[in-house]
Amino acid sequence: MIELYHLQLLSAILFALGVYGVLARKSAILILMSIELMLNAVNINMIGAAIFLDPNQIAGQVLAIFIITVAAAEVGLALAILLRLFRNRVTVNVDEIDIMKW
Amino acid sequence: MGWAWLIPALSFIAFPLIVAFGRFLPKRGAFIAIGAIAAGFVLFWVVMAGRVSAGATGSDVFNFDWFTVGSTTLRWGMIIDPLTVAMLGLVTLVALCIQVYSLGYMHGDPRFDLYFAEHSLFAASMLTLVLSSNLLLAYIAWELVGLCSYLLIGFWWERRSAAEAAKKAFVTTRIGDVGLLIGVFLLFFSTEPHTFDMVTIFHAIEAGEIGSGILTASALCIFFGAMGKSAQFPLHVWLPDAMEGPSPVSALIHAATMVAAGVFLVARLFPVFEAAPGTLVFVATIGLITTLAAGGMALVVTDLKRVLAYSTISHLGLMVLALGAGNVALAVTAAIFHLLMHGFAKALLFLGAGNVMHAMNGELDIRRMGGLRKVMPITAATFAVGSLSLGGIPVLAGFFSKDEMLNAVLHGGYPFFFTMFLIAAFISALYMARALFVVFGGELKKENEHLHEAVPSMTVPMVVLAALAAVAGFIAIPWTAQYGGFGTFLFFEQAERFHMNWGLAVGSTVIALGGFGLAWAIYIKGWLRAEAFIQAMPNVHRFFVNKMYMDDLYQWVINRGALVVAGFIAFFDRAVVNDVGVNGPANQVRASGWNLRYHVTGRVYNYALGIAVGAVAIALAWWILAF
Amino acid sequence: MSLALFIVAGGLATVGGIGVVTTRNVVYAALFLLLTLLAMAGVFLLVLAEFLALVQILIYGGAVVMVLIFAIMLTRTREFPRISDNPQWLLGAVAAVAVFGVLAAGFLIDRPDAPMPERAVFTLGSLGNALFTQWALPFEIASLVLLVALIGAIIIARPGGRE
Repeated sequence: MIELYHLQLLSAILFALGVYGVLARKSAILILMSIELMLNAVNINMIGAAIFLDPNQIAGQVLAIFIITVAAAEVGLALAILLRLFRNRVTVNVDEIDIMKW
Repeated sequence: MGWAWLIPALSFIAFPLIVAFGRFLPKRGAFIAIGAIAAGFVLFWVVMAGRVSAGATGSDVFNFDWFTVGSTTLRWGMIIDPLTVAMLGLVTLVALCIQVYSLGYMHGDPRFDLYFAEHSLFAASMLTLVLSSNLLLAYIAWELVGLCSYLLIGFWWERRSAAEAAKKAFVTTRIGDVGLLIGVFLLFFSTEPHTFDMVTIFHAIEAGEIGSGILTASALCIFFGAMGKSAQFPLHVWLPDAMEGPSPVSALIHAATMVAAGVFLVARLFPVFEAAPGTLVFVATIGLITTLAAGGMALVVTDLKRVLAYSTISHLGLMVLALGAGNVALAVTAAIFHLLMHGFAKALLFLGAGNVMHAMNGELDIRRMGGLRKVMPITAATFAVGSLSLGGIPVLAGFFSKDEMLNAVLHGGYPFFFTMFLIAAFISALYMARALFVVFGGELKKENEHLHEAVPSMTVPMVVLAALAAVAGFIAIPWTAQYGGFGTFLFFEQAERFHMNWGLAVGSTVIALGGFGLAWAIYIKGWLRAEAFIQAMPNVHRFFVNKMYMDDLYQWVINRGALVVAGFIAFFDRAVVNDVGVNGPANQVRASGWNLRYHVTGRVYNYALGIAVGAVAIALAWWILAF
Repeated sequence: MSLALFIVAGGLATVGGIGVVTTRNVVYAALFLLLTLLAMAGVFLLVLAEFLALVQILIYGGAVVMVLIFAIMLTRTREFPRISDNPQWLLGAVAAVAVFGVLAAGFLIDRPDAPMPERAVFTLGSLGNALFTQWALPFEIASLVLLVALIGAIIIARPGGRE
């Protein structure tokens, strides 16, 4: 039988992997992918909460739909910014984008 | 007589009027001031008539409540008794003469209107002080008088010495005023219910409700204030320097009225002094020291106005001596009488000095003068009348007043003080004569031949004052059946009908003539030489020439005391409050910001790490705290 | 039974996740992401959230990954360059482990007793009902968000130097 904590643990693993990706990767696109991973992990958690804890099974799933919506929108915008950045600096390497410093 | 407050009020109003509108008026508003004080003079006669008709020696008190705090009510009040009436007359008359004189003397001065405004303010404050029946009101007027003195001494403040002199006068009298304030509050808190009203306090003293310790303390404190204003030793150092002000200012404030305030205060509060054992002896001692010291300095000083200044101090000392050592029933009468006579005569002398100064273009060294009677006859004549009067030559006013004082001290029960008084009288005659003969007697120097007499607006007031200095003494004598002499008009506790003490009169005349004669011998005839005296007592001479080293002593105390404390406080303020308290945190913030700036690397992943770590830390902290 | 399937799907998702964050090749990373997302869809099916599984495949798998691959295509300087990790990868690993620890602890301590339901109460009809009654406002706002993102993306990425 699938238990709630299985889902939650899976969510935690994926979230932690996503955090590592955000912190350790050099290319902005890879960071973006890691963010998607994190959002997906959250989605699992939402679904789990909805199925196991809510008699109506509604709220978590609706929330998951909205999260997916926002993630999609965000990816589109992030791409746009990335493109502009690439046009300006010919790189998407976050190591080299460090003007706003001391 | 309930409207007597109009007398100071008119001059009070004159002050802002002149300040505001003086520029636009003809004569720059001087006539507002003169009008106010002349009206005051007229009103004085009405008050005097009212007082005499109401029973010459009673007193009327008018109080009105100001506000109440708890169980204490603060009142303003006037008291109209013979002392008040006498002082009103003195102040209004002398102020009027001097303001008229100032029209000529201060002509052309760029701050002409301000001068008259300050004069009016001074007259108003002095009149308020005289009328006040309430210690608080008296103190306020006292301070205002001090303020006007500061303003007028420093009238030509572009001169450094004048500004310094004004500051010195204010600070020295302020030291005395602290004593006065303490004394006033001692009396205030020792009466039940608390009151500032003089009449109530006097009743309480008579009824024995106030302890003698408190009475002694407050009497001494109040006298300390009088010492400041009346330039008694050791607070006399401001008066000679105050000669930096214009001569009419010296005449009014430092001869006739402000310095008289101290003596007036002691006379007004005499019941306090009389009831406190031992204070009167202290008062007399201070007066004695003052009069002898000032007399000595008047003999050696060569600046004409300073001779007159020291003479004023010396005469004030005589008055204080009489108040302290004289028989209680006679002392107040005698001192106030001399106050009036001295006021007229000394004001006159200062105005004369002003004439001389004006004519000689600011020169005041008497060694450059001589024989001025030939070019300034009116001034010389009036000056002579004033000097003779103050020296105590018979028939003139000063003779009568000095005799009254001698009489009082004679019956006071202290033979020591009486003897010293005689010596002081001799010295006063001597220095007065010295001034008179050196300046106006002898031969006219070549360079002084072009000098001329002063304009009538300046000489007429002097003639008026000279007439008073000559004949005013006769009010001491009983002329009519009802009038028993000054002693029955103004007295303390019991009236004294005037009677001539022939022995005393002859004795004091001899002393006065002796002083004048000695001066005649030295300065006119040249039988004796002044240098001989100097060589005989060189140390004494130097002691007096250096103003008894009092100024140096004060400066030393200030240097070692006040400036050290001030220096420490300045250091504390700069080092602790500013550098540590104010600048310290600011510097810390700046330094820490400068050192922490490396955290802003500009790289996004560093910031993300910070976010992750922060989130973990918060979760851990919440867990730890929640369990 | 379902547990075994769940473990398989979960394992696949994990493998995909590890692939995303460790591979040197950008395109491989995108493909690993696709793998993870599809595995997730499988998990959703296993827990009786069918509609969401479909949504997951359609949007995430279909649109998002597509967009990512476009991004890769438009921003490459050389042919599929090799990308190494950041200087702070070790700290990042530590932080990730810490995050996992916190989350796991939060999930495992005081587990609620919640059995898996027998059948899905949640149907398409009830979803439609919810979206237009209780959740109408967030629905509208979500569409607004999409609109704004669309317009914003167009404007930002517009050629022609408009800053």
